[in-house]
Amino acid sequence: MIHTRSLTKRYGPVLAVDSVDLDVRKGDIYGFLGANGSGKTTTVRMLLGLVLATSGGIELLGRPIPGAAREVLPQVGSLVEGPAAYGHLSGRANLSLFDAMGVGGRRRTRQQRIDEVLEQVGLTEVGRRPVKAYSLGMRQRLGLAAALLRSPRLLVLDEPTNGLDPQGIREIRELLLQLHATGTTVFLSSHLLAEVEQLCTRVGVLDRGRLVLQEELAVLQAPTGRTFVRTPDPDRAQALLDGRVESRDGRQLLVRGTDAAQINAQLVAAGVRVDELGPERRTLEQVVLEATEQAPVGSSRP
Amino acid sequence: MIVVELVKMLRRPRTWVTIGMLNALPTLVAVLLALTDLGPRPGTGPAFLSAVLTDGTLFPLAALAIVLPFLLPIAVAVFSGDAIAGEAAAGTLRYMVIRPVGRTTLLVAKLVSVIAFVLLAVLVVAATAYVMGTLLLGDQTGATTSVSGTSLSATQISGRTALSIGYVVLSMLGVAAIALFLSTVTDSSLGAALGALGVLVASSLLFTLDAAAALQPYLPTRYWLSFVDLFRDPILWRDVVRGVVLQGVYVAVFLGASWANFTTKDITS
Amino acid sequence: MTPQRRWFLVGVGVLLLIAIPVAVRSLPATESDVTAADLLAKVQASGSVRYSGYAEAVGGLQLPVTDRFSDLATLLGERTRLRVWWRSPESWRVDAIGLTGETDLIRDLGGLATWEYEAARVTFTADAPVRLPRTADLVPAVLGRQLLGEAESDEVARLPAERVAGRDVPGLRLTPRDPQTTIDHVDAWVDPQTGLVLRVEVYGAGTSPVMSTSFRSLSTEAPALSEGTFTPPPGAEVRVEEAVDIAAAADQFAPVRPPGTLVGLDRRPSEGVGAVGDYGRGVTRLVAIPLWDDAADPLRDQLETTPGARVGRRGTVVTVGPLGLMLTPNRFETPNWLLAGTVSRQTLARAAAELEGAARVLQ
Repeated sequence: MIHTRSLTKRYGPVLAVDSVDLDVRKGDIYGFLGANGSGKTTTVRMLLGLVLATSGGIELLGRPIPGAAREVLPQVGSLVEGPAAYGHLSGRANLSLFDAMGVGGRRRTRQQRIDEVLEQVGLTEVGRRPVKAYSLGMRQRLGLAAALLRSPRLLVLDEPTNGLDPQGIREIRELLLQLHATGTTVFLSSHLLAEVEQLCTRVGVLDRGRLVLQEELAVLQAPTGRTFVRTPDPDRAQALLDGRVESRDGRQLLVRGTDAAQINAQLVAAGVRVDELGPERRTLEQVVLEATEQAPVGSSRP
Repeated sequence: MIVVELVKMLRRPRTWVTIGMLNALPTLVAVLLALTDLGPRPGTGPAFLSAVLTDGTLFPLAALAIVLPFLLPIAVAVFSGDAIAGEAAAGTLRYMVIRPVGRTTLLVAKLVSVIAFVLLAVLVVAATAYVMGTLLLGDQTGATTSVSGTSLSATQISGRTALSIGYVVLSMLGVAAIALFLSTVTDSSLGAALGALGVLVASSLLFTLDAAAALQPYLPTRYWLSFVDLFRDPILWRDVVRGVVLQGVYVAVFLGASWANFTTKDITS
Repeated sequence: MTPQRRWFLVGVGVLLLIAIPVAVRSLPATESDVTAADLLAKVQASGSVRYSGYAEAVGGLQLPVTDRFSDLATLLGERTRLRVWWRSPESWRVDAIGLTGETDLIRDLGGLATWEYEAARVTFTADAPVRLPRTADLVPAVLGRQLLGEAESDEVARLPAERVAGRDVPGLRLTPRDPQTTIDHVDAWVDPQTGLVLRVEVYGAGTSPVMSTSFRSLSTEAPALSEGTFTPPPGAEVRVEEAVDIAAAADQFAPVRPPGTLVGLDRRPSEGVGAVGDYGRGVTRLVAIPLWDDAADPLRDQLETTPGARVGRRGTVVTVGPLGLMLTPNRFETPNWLLAGTVSRQTLARAAAELEGAARVLQ
């Protein structure tokens, strides 16, 4: 759905995005991670034809951007760096104007589609109020409604849960999962690891303009081949499992081997008390930190 | 897209506030004239203002002459300067472009919407002035006198008034195109509007300077007051035609520059 | 398309927009093989040509006069835009166009009507043979005939053709041979078919003209000008005045008669009553106007405060470019003479001295 080739953007001497090869497949919920200032927003803007790449190519839905923007973009819903709307107009009026712009918004179905998306994002009741009376979260939902207005095949969302309360975040997450279930591919750019971890099937990590990681979340979180043990008797446990303990951190041990049951039996048989024990899985945070720490500051290539 | 821009313009409170303000000055002038009966000395003051004392039906033209040199261009510069820069500042520009709205289409739609605003503003000013003129200053003569001293029938007067309204609207094209271009250069609406006003102030200054005589035929404000020529008998088309052509050239040049600048501009707002 | 290519396209467009009119304008005019003498004869025979058009005149003379002469100062010192419909010397209309109004002279069977739009005023007078210059005199064809009408063929030479009002017209240079004159030369471009002068440039000592006037558009079809008299529009103030200006009034009512020659210049035959003396020929002209004290005193005050003015025993002298003005002192029982013309300071002083002795006061 999204495919970039050596995508590069240079602002004067600053390399904002450096040879990024994104690969978002149909049916993905792709989490695009990166610290603030890592080039995420610039990449998203390039994908949508707002910013022109210095070099490299972009394909969206199999067509080149910005060349085929006219055919492709009507099938893409997006939220870039926060929502925007005309404050003096109502939410409905904003959606109506937005739909009437450019190609692809059919007039006959417009009111019906607006009703649908307002309901989807939970704004039905305030749709007729002027946007300047909206809270930050309501504006965010309106932005999302605008993105959904034309039942897009691909959603490109930049920080979609910004400004939402926990309840709102959960609603949006459910909405995205529901859309995903009906066949929408979602590209989610975020700096919130937890959000990505809960939602995404694939992850890409951008660090200082370079894509340092791009992998299925399931692969990243696969068991590491080690077993994690927490015990009030770490010394005894270490002695018992001598040679297999890879690292020790206070009362926590990492033990080589995936057979947790066998290790447990061995410890218990020796009278070592066990608080917690299981196969080690890395958190996304660890993965991201590892990936970003690998790259020394200032080098242009890993 | 043009329809969308027109709807946006019409639903904007600023549009109607501006039109109200444009109407305020001619109305004040009408009231003052009615109270004091003091016209400007010949050769001074806005066109037609001495004539309206005896013929209130000419007040729409006097009102145009009052708003044309300053108020109307300021309003046009503000609206046109806001066209792209304002959308950029509000963040809506990026959503327009990824809708997608063609960038050239957007520029043309914005220019059309500014011109529609001028037309609306001028029509409201003329209509208000007609009402004020006939109510406050009265129509004491029955027939209207042309600038050349001949009598014009009601049909002729309304035809020529319509022509002059059209001419005033076209006269604003140059300012609108300059402000639109500046609006694509900066993200600050105020900067774009003030830049366009700067051009106008410079143009008005050069217009009064004999040393700049060689430049004068190319100044955007050069033929603004030529709508008076439509009320001579017979009509003196010379400057009116030149004014329209000149505005056309300004539109071509600055719309072209806007296109050159905006089509591949990175939208980072 | 890359931004560079788009900017290039726009640049080329702008250049074309500027260059095409410039190129069209700078195309050389077709030269004519008419001789200077033939062309001059054409001008002198062009009195009955009918035409209409639009002309612009630029005067570069800042006359230090106000009050009753202020129209004259505007005429000689500023840009005047004129619309002309000319059927004959007794039937014409000349509109002087302003930004916000116009002042029109309409000459018809009823005499001369002046319409001032901004004052909504019509003034009817008899057209006077003796008067101050007026806007209608700036029409190139009128001024050209005035300046070239009495020239002789050995005073003129050909100039290259130029394009005036869309026509390629040959030029003519008049270099006057009168010793008194301050006019260096007069350049005129003449339509060889009709003899109408389409552009006139008058040069004093400097390199730029002190007065230039040129048609910008011209039609030689009979102008659509209503026959009969000018009808004042309803609501206009209507006045009837006995004289068109202060010179015409002086000519009719001043009780003096100037001599037949002055500083060697012959007095011109006049249809007027005769108190104003008009001397000279073509571009060399000197007029002597007797003024009443109420007109002369403020003018004298004005002239005396003008930089470069010389106040002598015989009067106050001011020169503006090639134009000299002299006003004699206020003396009991003799009129104040205003002498004006394209003559030098010294000639003016001599003229004042001659007038003192030669002017006849009617009792």
